[in-house]
Amino acid sequence: MTRVTVWLGHLVILGAAIAAAVLALGFLAGSAPAVHVALPRFFPFVSMSLAVDGLSAFFLVVIALVTAAAALYGPSYLAGHAKAPGVQTVALAVFVACMALVCCAGDLVTFLLAWEGMTLASWVLVVADGSEENARAGLLYLVMAHAGTAALLVAFLTLAERAHGFDFAAVRAAARGLDGGERTALFMLALAGFGAKAGVVPLHVWLPKAHPAAPSHASALMSGVMLKVALYGIFRFGFDLLAPAGGRLPASWGWTVLLLGTASAVIGVLLALQQHDLKRLLAFHSVENVGIILIGAGVAMLLGGGRGARPLATLALAAALLHTLNHAAFKGLLFLGAGSVLARTGVRNMEELGGLARRMPWTAWLFLLGAVAISALPPLNGFVSEWMTFQALLLGGVRLGGASGLLAGVAASMLALTGGLAAACFAKAFGVTFLGRPRTAHAEHAVESPAPMIAGMLLLALACLALGLAPGWAMRLLDRPTAELLGGAGASAAVTSSGPLVLSAGDAAAGLGATSISVTASAALLALLAALAWALRGWPRKAPRRLAPTWTCGMTPTARFDYTGTAFAKPLRLIFAALYRPRREVLKETGPNPYVIRRLGYAGEVVDLAETVLYAQVKHWVTAGAHEIRTYSTGRIHGYIAFVLVTLVVSLLLFAKA
Amino acid sequence: MSVELATRLIDVLGGLLLFTMLLILAAGQVFRAIYAVAAQAVFLGIAGAVLAAATGSVDLWIIAGITIGAKAILLPWLLIRVVRRVHISREIEPVIPTTVTLTLAAGIVVLAFHLNASLGSVRQAITGNALPVGVTLILIGVLVMASRRKALVQMVGLFASENGIFFTAMAVSQGMPLIIEIGVILDVVLGALVMGILVLRVRSSVDADIADLESLRG
Amino acid sequence: MESSVAHLARTALQAALLVLLGPLVTGFIQKLKARLQCRRGASLWQPYRDLAKLLRKGTVQSDTASPFFRAIPVLVLAATVTTAAMLPVLWAPSGPSSLPLGDAILLVALLALARFLLAIGALDAGGAFGGMGASREMTVGLLVEPALMLAVFSVAVSGGTTDVGLLAARREALALSWTAPDLLALFAMLILALAETGRIPVDNPDTHLELTMLHEGMLLEHSGPGLACIVLATHVKQLVILTLVAALFLPLGLARGAAPGELALALAAFAVKVVLLATFLGLVESSYAKLRFFRVPQFLGLGLVCAFLALALRVL
Repeated sequence: MTRVTVWLGHLVILGAAIAAAVLALGFLAGSAPAVHVALPRFFPFVSMSLAVDGLSAFFLVVIALVTAAAALYGPSYLAGHAKAPGVQTVALAVFVACMALVCCAGDLVTFLLAWEGMTLASWVLVVADGSEENARAGLLYLVMAHAGTAALLVAFLTLAERAHGFDFAAVRAAARGLDGGERTALFMLALAGFGAKAGVVPLHVWLPKAHPAAPSHASALMSGVMLKVALYGIFRFGFDLLAPAGGRLPASWGWTVLLLGTASAVIGVLLALQQHDLKRLLAFHSVENVGIILIGAGVAMLLGGGRGARPLATLALAAALLHTLNHAAFKGLLFLGAGSVLARTGVRNMEELGGLARRMPWTAWLFLLGAVAISALPPLNGFVSEWMTFQALLLGGVRLGGASGLLAGVAASMLALTGGLAAACFAKAFGVTFLGRPRTAHAEHAVESPAPMIAGMLLLALACLALGLAPGWAMRLLDRPTAELLGGAGASAAVTSSGPLVLSAGDAAAGLGATSISVTASAALLALLAALAWALRGWPRKAPRRLAPTWTCGMTPTARFDYTGTAFAKPLRLIFAALYRPRREVLKETGPNPYVIRRLGYAGEVVDLAETVLYAQVKHWVTAGAHEIRTYSTGRIHGYIAFVLVTLVVSLLLFAKA
Repeated sequence: MSVELATRLIDVLGGLLLFTMLLILAAGQVFRAIYAVAAQAVFLGIAGAVLAAATGSVDLWIIAGITIGAKAILLPWLLIRVVRRVHISREIEPVIPTTVTLTLAAGIVVLAFHLNASLGSVRQAITGNALPVGVTLILIGVLVMASRRKALVQMVGLFASENGIFFTAMAVSQGMPLIIEIGVILDVVLGALVMGILVLRVRSSVDADIADLESLRG
Repeated sequence: MESSVAHLARTALQAALLVLLGPLVTGFIQKLKARLQCRRGASLWQPYRDLAKLLRKGTVQSDTASPFFRAIPVLVLAATVTTAAMLPVLWAPSGPSSLPLGDAILLVALLALARFLLAIGALDAGGAFGGMGASREMTVGLLVEPALMLAVFSVAVSGGTTDVGLLAARREALALSWTAPDLLALFAMLILALAETGRIPVDNPDTHLELTMLHEGMLLEHSGPGLACIVLATHVKQLVILTLVAALFLPLGLARGAAPGELALALAAFAVKVVLLATFLGLVESSYAKLRFFRVPQFLGLGLVCAFLALALRVL
């Protein structure tokens, strides 16, 4: 009975996702004005409403895409080994609904309520497993999320006070009148609050603990979509609600976002490289990709507003938004693939897997597709949005000139570094998990996942292919959001000049030439040459083929001969040792004679500097402060009453000046 | 030689001087650092010759000749003789890791070029970008002296710094008066001789390098 | 804007030229190294003979490899030849074309795709050699990328575009006119070219000892026509890197139309540039020893600083 309810629940979610996608796509393609829907009054003094404009609709598409895939995937995954699948289905539905509400919120109260609902529903999914470790991860998640929400609350309440109301329109109008310092302070608060949810370094520590704990389709939604909803908040507040009249955003905003983005990208992928746990690795990559999106957003903020810079700002914003969609697609695909492996083998540690490509072919090749996409390799979608970000940095840097141009160049080289690091990381992840020989019995007895799970992954894989080979059509989707946020012509005017298959970035007004690429053309050329090479392989004569064991210096190869993930990442562990502070020890176990070693063990560890330096320090201060305060708790009631008296007298003195 | 061509050539030579400076920083062996500073002196001499051809001043021709003769041939030969006599190990041991010194050097270059604008009133027409390049050479030469263990490599840093002073002088005042130039070169030659003798003496009597003297702290 | 047919024909011709001349450049470098070592050395055409020999041989495949393993050499060769189609070898484009294929970022990304596929193939066969070669090659590859991006940017900043053909045309129109940033970017590219082509001091292309090979370690399990595809891809990649350096910094003698005199001049100029750069590679290979692997980041750090300075001098 539970199975049927779970299936029904997921089908409902699927239907809702498809409906939302169709509506949102129709909205984006058309030119209907923004939709306002007033909600019934739940609270006496607050009127809640929904407002759907270009940006909301675009994020609805992002949510719908991954939700549809997760809904296809979920029932078979839960049927395997999940506890309380009914509760998980309901939590999933609430989670998705709240995310959609956040994107469609028309006033601050709706936004916050939906935001909280999103956090709580995902918390249920994180602790649904019932294990001790997940409970702790869930606790850390709740603490960080509420710390972020606290920052948001302060910002929202200040804004609401200025605007004498909660509605977005009122807030927008009131923000025009704010002075520069206050506006920047509010933006930084909002950035901190949304950044904690999005996983921006150094507020990312909860991400690698919480995301892997949830079931895999929920992880896909959390990594692929929830982080994007947090970024939606940054876009909405940075470009729309807090923007000054006249459109020119303060330079400090752009620089902060750009620097945070670059740091997140590099640190996220460096930490991802050293993980063995497949899902933790993918969670760290989410930090990296959030960084890449913020790089594009930062450049758009630096160039936005003012005359002449608009096509470049549109290009940067389009790059950031497109990467949002792309990342949702390929991260969702990768998480679903990892979940498929987990469901069939019960193991997340890639050092215990291996050889799965022959036993789970669909999962393996779809995972490879996702790996190629996330490494920003042509001809898939990751490359397209990274190319656009590179062009935005180059042309924007030229426009800004001087030291700003140099920093833009450095950001571009760091972006190139993250691309290379991501490729190395996924060569390791894919190679160690799926290729070679199975290292344990779990991997040896794995079989392919059931069809619905494959269908979910296939949907996202097709999205990756489509977005990569025909990016011009994705630009049409971005027309409305970019035009509404930055003014001027939309994305397709700035980026596609000659048809949907060619992307070009240029700024004719500033005298800069245009660079164009055609991913479709290069993919077509690649396919043609591959076909040619394959056909010519049989010339002049068909070469005989035979199978033989891998060369291992003459010994019979076993799984122990295969390279491990730790070994693959070792060169980078040593090169970036300043960030990792690696520690290793070799454990020797000897028999009665100390010269004969019975067993040799190797234990190593890398640290997340943010965790050990920053969080340990903060924890230390908080506990030390708490200890200090404790000495003042005398336990006698007279002391406490005297405390209250002193506080009252002081507040009277402070606020009685009028 | 037209002023424009001279400016272009000095600009290109400035780039070459920067590259040789990076080679000195990144060199892993003493001989490579010495060859790099010799090449640097050759480029400096060529720059002097170009400036002399553009301004027609005879002094600059003499200075260019002395630069090439003394700093590209004599001093490196002296250093190489000391290295061969003393049989010191050829590796250059840095005090701070090479990657850190390269980053500091990059920072120094950016700083020098960034401040170029505020120093603009001092520049002459012909030499364009030479002032920040010269300042960079001086500072990176001192960086080499501060970050390398061997005394001989510190001498190389001193020579490089001195090249920078020459280049800056060319940029600012189109060369210093001849007598001052000859005096500075004599100072450097004297310093090299003293350092060479000191290293030989310390080696032969104590069989230790200059850097090891720090272990004599009380 | 030229007609699409003419543009396609030129692209195909340039790609074919690079594919056919790739092994010859390797043969030239081998001959140069041999002469410097006072040997006679193998003939200039030896790489072609090696390729023909490999095509005739049978394939031995590891029994743990997945079915995808057979496709990897073909895909690697296809990706590398696609990059060969993107460079201005003989012709400089007069303006943006309707089917643009010349972007530098796309070129670097396609080479990264080829490297990624080779690493996957190396891990596919299992065994420690493939894993070690793949791990080291990916590490060197990712250390090259930031410096390469900075060098390309410093050249692209003045042209406002990252299209290699347009940058070459622009520099040729200005009659080279090198400035200090261009020189520093050229030095950076030469250092990076040593890493990308897998030559000493980063990697040793002649050896098949386990510990000294980065690139060769990944090729150990390929044989027969598959190995021929990958070896040809290596030759073509080397020539592509040299042509990229020539196009960005030495674009002289590029043709505009189809006149035979112009074409002959362009071919001769291309030959001179490639011989010059190949001589540089050969001289460096003969003068230096291979660096210990963990010294390679320092060596590439020099290239990174040069490229950074090139951008700084250009922008500040």
